[in-house]
Amino acid sequence: MNVIELNQLTKYYGKSRGIEQVTLDVKEGEIFGFIGPNGAGKSTTIRTMLGLLYPDSGTAKIFGKDCFMSGPEIRQEIGYLPSEVFYYDKMKVIDLLNYTAGFFKNKNSKVKMRELAEIMELDLKKRIEDLSYGNKKKVGIVQGLMHSPKLIVLDEPTSGLDPLMQQKFFDIIKKENQNGASVFFSSHILAEVQSLCNRVAIIKDGQIIKVDDIKSMREDNYKKVTLKGNQIPSDQFINLQGVTNIHHVDRELKFFYKGDINQLTHLVSQNSLKDVLIEEPTLEEIFMHYYR
Amino acid sequence: MHILKWEIKAQFKTLLIWSVVFIVLIFMMTSEFSAYYDNPEMSDVLEAMPEGMLKAFSMENANLTTTTGYISLVALYFYIMVGVYAVLLGNGIIAKEERDKTAEFLLTLPVSRRKLLFIKWLAALINTILLSLVIFAATTAAMQPYDLDQAFFKFLTQITVSCFIIMLIFLSIGYLMASVLKRYKSSGKLSAVLVFFLYLANDIMALSDKLEFMKYLTPFKYFEAQKILKEGSLDTTYLIISGGIVIVSMITAFIIYPKRDIKI
Repeated sequence: MNVIELNQLTKYYGKSRGIEQVTLDVKEGEIFGFIGPNGAGKSTTIRTMLGLLYPDSGTAKIFGKDCFMSGPEIRQEIGYLPSEVFYYDKMKVIDLLNYTAGFFKNKNSKVKMRELAEIMELDLKKRIEDLSYGNKKKVGIVQGLMHSPKLIVLDEPTSGLDPLMQQKFFDIIKKENQNGASVFFSSHILAEVQSLCNRVAIIKDGQIIKVDDIKSMREDNYKKVTLKGNQIPSDQFINLQGVTNIHHVDRELKFFYKGDINQLTHLVSQNSLKDVLIEEPTLEEIFMHYYR
Repeated sequence: MHILKWEIKAQFKTLLIWSVVFIVLIFMMTSEFSAYYDNPEMSDVLEAMPEGMLKAFSMENANLTTTTGYISLVALYFYIMVGVYAVLLGNGIIAKEERDKTAEFLLTLPVSRRKLLFIKWLAALINTILLSLVIFAATTAAMQPYDLDQAFFKFLTQITVSCFIIMLIFLSIGYLMASVLKRYKSSGKLSAVLVFFLYLANDIMALSDKLEFMKYLTPFKYFEAQKILKEGSLDTTYLIISGGIVIVSMITAFIIYPKRDIKI
């Protein structure tokens, strides 16, 4: 069964493009990645799904029900964590979470709230206005998950969280997923999506470019290589199988490499270089590579 | 119920500030009244003033030396103040969610926008009732040194009810503007400007009989205190118009707000 079904969903802000004909489905129980650079239309898609924005055309269904006709009913089972969280500044965290609990039918939400707050090391007695950006995000996590939603919608969820908290957060998400929750995970950080998701959709300029298994994405495992030195034998590297996107400027050679990493390191070791960088390409660079 | 509780709590500080302002103002005004009360010389001074001037200050029928006469004079200031309070309240209670960016939190919870609108309206309504009670109580307390008869309380009740209805009208207008206009910043300013414009219209109208046709345009005209004092009751036509404004504003907000994009 599909938890989310978007069909030809289109949204314009006046004349400027939001999303165009976005079609995708998320299956029950999967963690679905939604990646794209900033401004690609990720948040627009999510906000349309959640009924904050009205589409110009197309349909959006969650749990088989129309997002706009049955919004409140659908949202009983959705937990949403936006990229930036804003709450009522004067409220204490505990009051805000109790206030949120009042909207949900799940009677266990207050117990779970305490559990989550403990894991995330969140001080419930503080006022929202006294919290740092990262701590507000923690409130968002507890608020979004305390009612044990069947669908978790995350929009750039890790911004503002330190690496330790990110890991805790991912563990919580994995656990929720094991307990049956489906996850729609929007991010511009490829590594996050790759480590967590089963399938992934890539959005660019408001349009879905590719929907694929994360496995096949992984097989396309490009590395970005930068070599620095006075005399780089560029021909040797350029002729190496799996090298693309070559840029050679002065004493620097940059390229994408997909292939046996030992062949590359062997070649590197035979040359006198000043510096070697082997990195994950940014999402933008992958876009440039694939969809130029 | 918990939403209503929170909305009332969220507005409480503003209500408190406005209540204090009203109480201070009422006591200040009535302290001045001691100079006029039962003072025949003051009547003579007023009678000697040109009619045009009295009209401009809405004093043409006011007898400053009586408690009811004095209240009828200061009522317009009450009206303006409650108008400003209500239009900002109505506008703010809706627009604050977008202004403070809390809309993304509140409107993604399992509650319909219509229900939220209704509860917010209810919270605002309770606020206006409370402020009306403050006005009534503060005026009664401030006028205690004088001989307050049944006629005074009847008139003060009518003025309080007028304040309440004026608040309802402006509440609905502010509410409508915040619901319909996507630009929450301009909706607040526009609402406040509207109150002053309508007050100005009320003032200008007093200067010329030719502008009589404008009387339906400004709610301040609907509850002219001196007319109420003279006739002993509120004008039914204006009450119906007031109800109409409130209902039309509410229905329009209820139709448009649930369908419009939320600015985040």
